[in-house]
Amino acid sequence: MSDPTAPAASVPPSSVVLVSGGSRGLGLAIVTDLLESGVKVAAFARTVTPELRKLAEAQPERCHVGSVDVTDLAAAQAFVRAAEERLGPIDGLVNNAAIGQDSLHVHTATGDIARIIETNLTAPLQLTRLTVRRMLGKGLRGRIVNITSICAQRGFPGLVAYSATKGGMDAATRSLARELGGRVLVNAVAPGFFASEMSAVLGPTQLDQIVRRTPTGHLTEPEEVVPVVRMLLRDQTNINGQVIVVDGAASI
Amino acid sequence: MNELSRVQIRDLMAQVLKNQGKVLPADDAADLREVGFRSLDFSELALRVEDETGEELNFDAPGLRRIATVGDVLDFLVELQRQ
Repeated sequence: MSDPTAPAASVPPSSVVLVSGGSRGLGLAIVTDLLESGVKVAAFARTVTPELRKLAEAQPERCHVGSVDVTDLAAAQAFVRAAEERLGPIDGLVNNAAIGQDSLHVHTATGDIARIIETNLTAPLQLTRLTVRRMLGKGLRGRIVNITSICAQRGFPGLVAYSATKGGMDAATRSLARELGGRVLVNAVAPGFFASEMSAVLGPTQLDQIVRRTPTGHLTEPEEVVPVVRMLLRDQTNINGQVIVVDGAASI
Repeated sequence: MNELSRVQIRDLMAQVLKNQGKVLPADDAADLREVGFRSLDFSELALRVEDETGEELNFDAPGLRRIATVGDVLDFLVELQRQ
């Protein structure tokens, strides 16, 4: 079914943003940045780290955190309800929670493949459905940013299932943007390899090779991704259904 | 589980190399790069061990990166069968 194209009102900046996987790394950097930008943030992760706890304790009226496994839909629903009671209606979502992979496909246990797909693809789709239903039910416009990966576009050994999930989220980003008809802006940010935990999947030799092939001469840092996420959540642009790669042109 | 011995795994490794016209040296300290035994050869060997034992051998990549010699391959697969 296609709707006739009609001029749509612009989508206002998100004011209450739900961030999955917000306890460390890029997720924590996104939470920190959004709070500094004046946005209210509801962040969850399997384990609430002391860093995330500290943010919540410092700004209890603007930051709600909780320990939730993203694959536990009932727990996620309960968290969202509690967050909205405290912060107000959620009008932004950052699907960041994910697990990595570090094994050749033929030597990855079938259970591990299922777990990677459940965490990195099924769970964010469910969280998106849950959040969008609440936005639409309240007549809100909103924004979604999916954190994917350069692995969705380029091949890397040891990351087959992980790459498949990230490619799936890139594809979902485009279809969601179409389906939500400009009422919710949906985009993805695809970082290159970080010089941190997720890059443990590549050996030092491979990382050195990536750095050599990167025109900017360095691996991506979370601080370089955060402004792009903030821009997609807050700035007035007509960007929708896009995957923005942040990798210093390593992949071009 | 029908566990393969180190000697049996060595025989399988020799077969993998022989199929490519290569020879497995007698010395366990031989460097895999000099032997021409690559990561996919390791996968082939692991899958052959699986065929023999009927048990899947799954492992993460960091373990593979530590493998440099023929002896490392044999030690790794012997140990993996016990996990």
